[in-house]
Amino acid sequence: MKSTRRLLIRLIAIAAVIAIAAWMMVIGRGHTIYFDNKPIEANGEKYEAPYQIQVYVDDESMGKLKEGDRGMATTMGQDFKMVLHITPEKDAKKVGSAVSLKIPYNMDGIVINLPALLGGAPEEVYQSEFIPTEVEEPEEEVDISSDEFEMPMGDE
Amino acid sequence: MNTDTKKEKGAFGKFVESFGLPRLLITAFLLLLLILAPIVGADLPTQITNIIARFSWNGVLVLAMVPMVHSGCGLNFGLPLGIISGLLGATMSIEFGFTGALSFVMAILIATPFALVLGALYGWLLNKIKGGEMMIATYVGFSSVSLMCMMWLVLPYKSPNMVWGMAGKGLRTTISLEGYYIDVLAKFLRIKIGNFEIPTGTLLFFALLAFLIWAFLHTKTGTAMTAVGSNPTFARAAGINVDKIRLLSVVMSTWLAAIGILVYEQGFGFIQLYMAPFYMALPAVSAILIGGASVNKASITNVIIGTILFQGIVTMTPTVMNNMVHMDMSEVIRIIASQGMILYALTRKTEGSK
Amino acid sequence: MNNNTAKKGNFGNFLRRSSVPLMFILICAVCIPLSGLSPSYLVNEIVTRMGRNAFLILALLIPIMAGMGLNFGMTLGAMAGQIGLILASDWQIIGIPGMVLAMILSVPISILLGMFCGKILNMARGREMITSYIMSFFINGIYQLVVLYLMGSVIPIKHSTIKLPRGYGIRNTVSLLSMRQKLDNLIPLTIKGVKIPVATFIVIAVLCVFIVWFRRTKLGQDMRAVGQDMEVARDAGINVEKTRIIAIVLSTVLAGIGMIIYLQNMGNIATYSSHSQIGMFCIAALLVGGASVDKASIGNVFLGVILFHLMFIVAPRAGAAITGDSMIGEYFRVFVSYAVITVALIMYETAKRSEKKQGGEQLKQAQLEEESK
Repeated sequence: MKSTRRLLIRLIAIAAVIAIAAWMMVIGRGHTIYFDNKPIEANGEKYEAPYQIQVYVDDESMGKLKEGDRGMATTMGQDFKMVLHITPEKDAKKVGSAVSLKIPYNMDGIVINLPALLGGAPEEVYQSEFIPTEVEEPEEEVDISSDEFEMPMGDE
Repeated sequence: MNTDTKKEKGAFGKFVESFGLPRLLITAFLLLLLILAPIVGADLPTQITNIIARFSWNGVLVLAMVPMVHSGCGLNFGLPLGIISGLLGATMSIEFGFTGALSFVMAILIATPFALVLGALYGWLLNKIKGGEMMIATYVGFSSVSLMCMMWLVLPYKSPNMVWGMAGKGLRTTISLEGYYIDVLAKFLRIKIGNFEIPTGTLLFFALLAFLIWAFLHTKTGTAMTAVGSNPTFARAAGINVDKIRLLSVVMSTWLAAIGILVYEQGFGFIQLYMAPFYMALPAVSAILIGGASVNKASITNVIIGTILFQGIVTMTPTVMNNMVHMDMSEVIRIIASQGMILYALTRKTEGSK
Repeated sequence: MNNNTAKKGNFGNFLRRSSVPLMFILICAVCIPLSGLSPSYLVNEIVTRMGRNAFLILALLIPIMAGMGLNFGMTLGAMAGQIGLILASDWQIIGIPGMVLAMILSVPISILLGMFCGKILNMARGREMITSYIMSFFINGIYQLVVLYLMGSVIPIKHSTIKLPRGYGIRNTVSLLSMRQKLDNLIPLTIKGVKIPVATFIVIAVLCVFIVWFRRTKLGQDMRAVGQDMEVARDAGINVEKTRIIAIVLSTVLAGIGMIIYLQNMGNIATYSSHSQIGMFCIAALLVGGASVDKASIGNVFLGVILFHLMFIVAPRAGAAITGDSMIGEYFRVFVSYAVITVALIMYETAKRSEKKQGGEQLKQAQLEEESK
């Protein structure tokens, strides 16, 4: 009796740990978000870029994006919130706008076209996956820490 | 103990048991490499030349394990201490202006007093801490190597061939032996057929030292040493001064290590200072264990077989692996094989001692 | 035995036990003015390093309690921690959740490695330390096999920032920028210019409480009994082998978690070398704090971190100031680290021998008395 109870407790503990791991994988998924302030044309509709957009994520400014600029932010989890301060024309008054988005889990980097987003375009228009350009690089030498010659330092 | 006779006597299982599974695997692995080498297009004579050359460089360092194992002091993880004596001899011989073959002789002569004094101190220490020799030996080695790192910088060496050019002081990390004793032993009676080469002189030098050790182990003192190693209580009862014998064995091991590093350098062509001696004990330890020694038993045969097997794997694996799969896993294989061997030996029960 | 000699013995014991810390206080006292480093810089550094290292060093306490000496095999846990971190960063799990995931991933690896190590150590009784030391090299070989050859070819690794350009194997350094000091800065607090990693200290405190509590549990008591005398413990019905394995498993698991805390502070993993020296530094620090091979307390850990790292920071500068060559200071601190371990090991072994001798003599005395009756 005692052993079955013990087994049960262990199984529950393991299940709990796995559940925590799964939870961490959901809430801790990191994404890099790129914001484009660029005009875009899709489905016959044209979205004009405003003069300047200032992006705030977690009350922190991610930069002022003039037309044609790209900004960047890292975020955790699938719910992404940002506040946009839009200046439509030069010397015009700023218009604030809070936006929250769902980010697909499997994308590392997401490009968001702000004009399209603000213009109410469908998701597949304003959102696209960021694919890093493959850089040709020389083969990296790996210095293995063997048991032969090694400097026993490097706490720094 | 001759493993060959045992092999004929017993059944396969018994053979495996006496020979040790890891040892068997390592031998089989080397045989496999030797068979594979010509198939994958590696030049076998060159490979064998390499193995023999590396055997000749390392033989004496492995031999340095024997006296301490015999007297029950365990595997000499403190090998770097002896190596430091050798390095002192080497650098001082060059500093005093000796060149050519004479620099080798002088290096041995200068290294000897250092080895004797350091060995005596080391032996005295090991007598104080019977039972914990191996761990302390390891750390005595480490401490002495790192102490010498400072010394190489501070000691007043002047020879322009050894110090840093810019500063004019402090020894370089590697010192070329060109013009000094590079290949002095190897050149002697060297046999050369095509790609195949035998450094006769170095092998003869090793044979001489091995013979001396073998002969010593058959003298009265030598048998006393074996007795101390296999059964200290009995040895004490028989009127043997255990501490004195152990001290002697440590001094011998240290001296052999000093000579060993000089032989290694003449083949390798460079003196390596600073952190280089740090882990030099480990290859020597695993070599003798692969050769069939245990923590308290070692013979000259173990040294020879072990060094050939160990160096064979070290030289053959990279070539064969690279030719076969274009993946150089040799370093990893070497680490796993040699450390695994040491682990295996440490877990064996030692008969008699303690 | 009269009271007087016993007192003297106690005082001598105290001196011997605290000789290493006293020596270090002396070294630091000489080196600090020479280094010319400002006190606020030093305090900042010490606080940072305390957060970085204390957890790892605490992982050493349990095997000492079980009489297995200094666990040089804590490197095994460090490797498990690194594997956890590599996987978590390839899956792009960042920040604190990334750390927690890495810890969870490291635990099963640590348990397996710890069980293997414990089994081997049970076979090499009386030689635990050298065996655990060689064990760290052996597992390092396996670790390299996994990380350098299997990751990317068998174990899927997606991101080319982690993978070597050849398509398999992990790069020399893996950036942990997305986790860097996330735990340290979770609860920000700065007192007089000294940044205090509050959350890290809380984690360390929890571990300290756990260790204190653990000592009082049945298992902890068993462990101490095994550490004192294996035969007596066996006669008392304790499963000695199992207890020893548990001690090593616990230490390995804690070392894995400690390594993750250590690396989140550093901000990157040196894939092939971060783990290799960690055992040596932690052991040296613990011994500097006045611990010995068979006795170590939580106080030793904290004193050790302070003194050892103070020496570590000031030695190169002081060395440069004295000799004009900064390398001398670098070598000096390495030498001191090794020398401390050497001296501690020698003191432990000599004490063990003299105890044995004393025991033997007492036995002889008793026998003689018996005979004379």
